[in-house]
Amino acid sequence: MKLLSVIGQYLVLMSAVFTKPVRARIFIKRVFEEIEQIGMDSIWIVSIVSVFMGAVLTLQVAINFTSPVIPQYLIGLSARDTFILEFSSTIICLILAGKVGSNIASEIGTMRITEQIDALEIMGVNSANYLILPKITAALISFPILNLLSIILGIFGGYLIATATDVVSIYDYIYGLNYMFVPFYVTYSLIKICVFSIIITSVSSFHGYYTFGGALEVGKSSTKAVVYSIILVLLFNLILTQLLLT
Amino acid sequence: MIEVKNVNKSFGDQHVLKDVSAFFEPGKINMIIGRSGSGKTVLLKSIIGLVKPETGDIFFNEREFIRANIKFKREIRKEIGMVFQGGALFTSQTVEDNIMFPLNLFTNLTKKEKLNRVNFCLDRVNIQNANKQFPSEISGGMQKRVAIARAIALNPKYLFCDEPNSGLDPQTAIMIDQLIHNITVEYNMTTIVNTHDMNSVMEIADSIIFIYEGHKWWQGGREDIFNSENDELNDFVFASELCKKIKKTNP
Repeated sequence: MKLLSVIGQYLVLMSAVFTKPVRARIFIKRVFEEIEQIGMDSIWIVSIVSVFMGAVLTLQVAINFTSPVIPQYLIGLSARDTFILEFSSTIICLILAGKVGSNIASEIGTMRITEQIDALEIMGVNSANYLILPKITAALISFPILNLLSIILGIFGGYLIATATDVVSIYDYIYGLNYMFVPFYVTYSLIKICVFSIIITSVSSFHGYYTFGGALEVGKSSTKAVVYSIILVLLFNLILTQLLLT
Repeated sequence: MIEVKNVNKSFGDQHVLKDVSAFFEPGKINMIIGRSGSGKTVLLKSIIGLVKPETGDIFFNEREFIRANIKFKREIRKEIGMVFQGGALFTSQTVEDNIMFPLNLFTNLTKKEKLNRVNFCLDRVNIQNANKQFPSEISGGMQKRVAIARAIALNPKYLFCDEPNSGLDPQTAIMIDQLIHNITVEYNMTTIVNTHDMNSVMEIADSIIFIYEGHKWWQGGREDIFNSENDELNDFVFASELCKKIKKTNP
């Protein structure tokens, strides 16, 4: 019963979010501000994680492919497909749920407890639309870019380790990257990250928007935002994989 | 002019507002007083629509507010200025941007005209050279004055102040009181001030409503308070032993 009530409350909030902004110019300005906060500020974490994971993944696959009947180019292929299909969309989103989700929930939660949201409402502003829609839009623009960046850097991480060590030859690694490439996998990855970006920003905003109390409750909202975002990302990952790949 | 008719509000089992009716006139400082937890903040929030009463009506110049759709409510709210207890300034924006915020959203003024309006409002609340400062960089008294400047930026018809003097020293509190009074008279606004600061009441109140346990217990003017026979009001107004002695020695 409580779950239904929360879902209802979420849908009511989203119906207020997805309305026409009062001023297009202000909305666009807010979207760019949010792109900087949500997207640009996440580049470094996405880059570091992707490069290192690409390197580690290549090493681990190479170490485990000990049989001479397994062609070495499969190391490049597995690195490519792992990053495109799962890592750069799902795992990166789990990281972003922690970084971006907690940031959004604590920002909006603090605005709630310091009556800044009430002040917006009293001015006649649709506070949900003003605060949340630019965040969702910014995430929809910047997350797919982060996704592509992660794919490129992850594969580059594998290339670096192949260059630095002799676990796989550069030729085999690059051949594996090109071997049986399915372009739809990139589309699938982008579709997933678009859905995840909406989940992370809207769920985190929801928890921030309905924060009541003080600093302790802001912390709790922030934690809830991350936990529920992660659970929903994993759930929708399963649903989307079933729908798009089978 | 704001009219409140038979407003009731409960939170769970707790009946916070019990059939409250009141009338707030324009050009006057209407004060709501009462002990903490008496229901005065809920009454104020009910009037501006942040809390939805279960029953009752609220009229802004004969326009029904509670049951109005959200679009109409937002139109009425554009005529409202509100000074929150903590100021509620946007912490990520400068003083100038805070005051310019409603102008950006609801006017078609040029950048220069908006800046002139911001400077006029800041000048009106006696603040100079703070345009580029952030709320965290200015004092509590200045934050309250910036909040007043933001509230009057769009020339509101109605001004609401929720405990505007809380946390301020007596001199700054008097300055804020005088500011609210002068603005109310100057723009002929309907002003409602929520307070338990009796100095403010004695300083600027034109009409006073005393809320006791969710009821409108007493209503009158500044002078009437001293002569009232209402025990609960006297207990609230003359709470300290010193005040009780003064009341006894000056019947």
